[in-house]
Amino acid sequence: MVKKDLSVTFLGVKFPNPFCLSSSPVGNDYDMCKKAYDVGWGGIVFKTIGPKSYVINEVSPRFDKLDKEAEPFVGFKNMEQIAEHSLEENLADLARLKKEYPDRVLIASIMGNDEETWEDLARKVTEAGADMIEMNLSCPQMTSHAMGSDVGSNPELCKRYCQAVKRGSKLPMMAKMTPNITDMVVVAKACLEGGADGIAAINTIKSICNIDLQKKIGMPIVNGKSAISGYSGKAVKPVALRFIQQMRTAIPNLEISGIGGCETWEDAAEFILVGATTIQVTTGIMQYGYRIVEDMCNGLMHYMEEQKVDSLHELIGKANKNIIPAEELDRDYIVYPQIDEDKCVGCGRCYISCYDGAHQAMEWDEDKRRPHCNHDKCVGCLLCGHVCPVGAISLGEIVFKKTAKPGRKIKDIRL
Amino acid sequence: MSEKYMKEYEAGYTPRLVMEEASRCLLCHDAPCSKACPAGTDPAKFIRSVRFRNVKGAAETVRINNILGAICARVCPTERYCQQGCSRSGIDKPIDIGRIQRYVTDSEDAFKMEILEAKPLNGKKVAVIGSGPAGLSVAGILAQDGYKVTIFEKEAKAGGYLRYGIPEYRLPTPVVDREIKRIEKLGVEIVLNHPVEDIEALKKEYDAVVVAVGHNKGKVLPIFAGKRFVKTAVDFLHEAKRRKGNIKVPQNVLVIGGGDVAMDTVTTLKLLGVPQVTDVVYETFAEFKASKKELQGSQEQGVSIIDGYVPVALKGKKVVFQHRFIPAKLEVKADLIILAVGQYTEAGLLGFEVNKLQEVTNASGKVFVCGDVAHNGEKTVVYAVRSAKEVAYAVKKYLGGK
Repeated sequence: MVKKDLSVTFLGVKFPNPFCLSSSPVGNDYDMCKKAYDVGWGGIVFKTIGPKSYVINEVSPRFDKLDKEAEPFVGFKNMEQIAEHSLEENLADLARLKKEYPDRVLIASIMGNDEETWEDLARKVTEAGADMIEMNLSCPQMTSHAMGSDVGSNPELCKRYCQAVKRGSKLPMMAKMTPNITDMVVVAKACLEGGADGIAAINTIKSICNIDLQKKIGMPIVNGKSAISGYSGKAVKPVALRFIQQMRTAIPNLEISGIGGCETWEDAAEFILVGATTIQVTTGIMQYGYRIVEDMCNGLMHYMEEQKVDSLHELIGKANKNIIPAEELDRDYIVYPQIDEDKCVGCGRCYISCYDGAHQAMEWDEDKRRPHCNHDKCVGCLLCGHVCPVGAISLGEIVFKKTAKPGRKIKDIRL
Repeated sequence: MSEKYMKEYEAGYTPRLVMEEASRCLLCHDAPCSKACPAGTDPAKFIRSVRFRNVKGAAETVRINNILGAICARVCPTERYCQQGCSRSGIDKPIDIGRIQRYVTDSEDAFKMEILEAKPLNGKKVAVIGSGPAGLSVAGILAQDGYKVTIFEKEAKAGGYLRYGIPEYRLPTPVVDREIKRIEKLGVEIVLNHPVEDIEALKKEYDAVVVAVGHNKGKVLPIFAGKRFVKTAVDFLHEAKRRKGNIKVPQNVLVIGGGDVAMDTVTTLKLLGVPQVTDVVYETFAEFKASKKELQGSQEQGVSIIDGYVPVALKGKKVVFQHRFIPAKLEVKADLIILAVGQYTEAGLLGFEVNKLQEVTNASGKVFVCGDVAHNGEKTVVYAVRSAKEVAYAVKKYLGGK
């Protein structure tokens, strides 16, 4: 039975494990959060609390999902805005949760519509007992353009609102980024200048998930119409990891709460390796429930054991230095595919993909139903390995190109 | 007790499940499944269509290649054909191709698709004798090319072994009706209650005659000849299907035979509520002829199957068997004995001996044979379709078509 200490310290606050609910429908009130804590979540970012003047009026239905073959929820589209309960109810829930779960981390997500409301909300959630504040600068489906991702793509405005929050509270604070922007670093830096202690990334990506082909309306349909709104789930993980990596590269040692498509301990480990200290989850919970944290925690403990580390802090950002600009990569060699004929089931997918999508190097023995790589044509792209359904194609022989720098040795190449 | 018999035994896929199964498909290059289908149904292509969410396209592939696609989907012993070559077997188990095909053809009906079309009549007339799988197929294929085809059927309804042989739980009558209707819509006329007594008259009236009478009679082993409590499986299955399972069967039935017809018989008996069904089989399990699926189906129903025995004597209602390889004897007494020991063609009325059919065909040039009577190979629907394709090609060539 594996037992590892999963605790992390993020912005000076200790989390029993790095797994948090993200500010969303999954942390909407006391009962939901209580259940999540009971199942084992280390922290909760309570659903974003807005100014009293901003009335939430949601649409129905409000979700859509992207499927691939038999796999539902590859991606998920969500139209919900921020907390619909009254400010008083939300503050009361925060206070009660903190009282009953003092060892867990409670993060208040807030969203103002001007400096005054940001400052006021920061003060109120602090008084309610929150351990930390997350500024929601990034919800892409707000009905006000003074709120959400329209704010988050304006560095100057972000900075001013961060300053306002800092005036209202001394709590550690992270600013939540929108990915609907070319360079997140600019906004992240502005937030840090405004007083943010860390960054949460990413919020959802503006999307149209599906179009109803008969009605010719985007999904979900709300009385004959639809709107662009936030996309999340496994499909966005690559985008999230990329933004986090870019911020960690531009702003060394930046503390980040990673968000975007985390469902398994492996996803979580990836976020940690690119520099996240905590990981926030919503879509996985919406599909499978709070219980997914059990395997996230246990799986991560096993990974720690395999990696021979006693603290997750030993892993944070460990991949950052290994992700470099494309122009700095070693372009001196080719690695050829190695085909395991015993594993091969003779489907010929490598042959098809190599011909139609690569360099016509994979040759096909019709009688034996086995592929063979012609090294004269192979460029070592390894598309064949990616399409093989049985993992029969691996990295094989390494050969230096004619253009390689002289004196290079194969033993120095790390695959 | 006909309820169980009347209900299709295997449930069809839901959209979700068919996608799961299609997603298991490796989408092979030069796919072995497609190469292994005797009728050229091209499963690799229609499974790929399902996978890429084009069920209508899948239905077109099935229907254009196999005019009895909805029937083959249900009754084809796919383990011997398409599924045998399936590359997925190298990982776990083959794709359930028959069931995907069933989903596709069920969708074809749900969408009310009319995929096949007949060209304008070309002035040539073809007579087909028999409306079983081979006769229907050859008629449908020729009709698409503009031939005016008339099928002569001795029974009151069309379909032959499809209607009167394969049990309801495996091939529901409405499925057969729909397939026949599709073929009739192509302009094929089916003349019922019309046994052909004089092939010469047909030869005069039609430009070509196709004999597709099938192996329409069950064989009787000499020791059982003339016994009142002995039936052939062909007759038994015919009666069960015609009367929708409302037949009287005694409590203790012995079946002799181990092919798919035998499996259909024993399973039917069980579904009709017969408590004691014993099947004694000539082949040992190692040599078994029935498809694994049908064997498994009968075992699930609780049939006692005894392998490796030959019937050697009949004492009253007691059959004495001798094991083929070991010194062992078996005696089984039963109220009813059903023989599923092979079939043959009775076509005396046609005016020539069946074993001389090939000669007759070759001599006249105008007469063609199709289906079970045309070859000594597999007696399956898919082979009937294959045979129909070959014969249709030969007829067209003979009549100067392309």
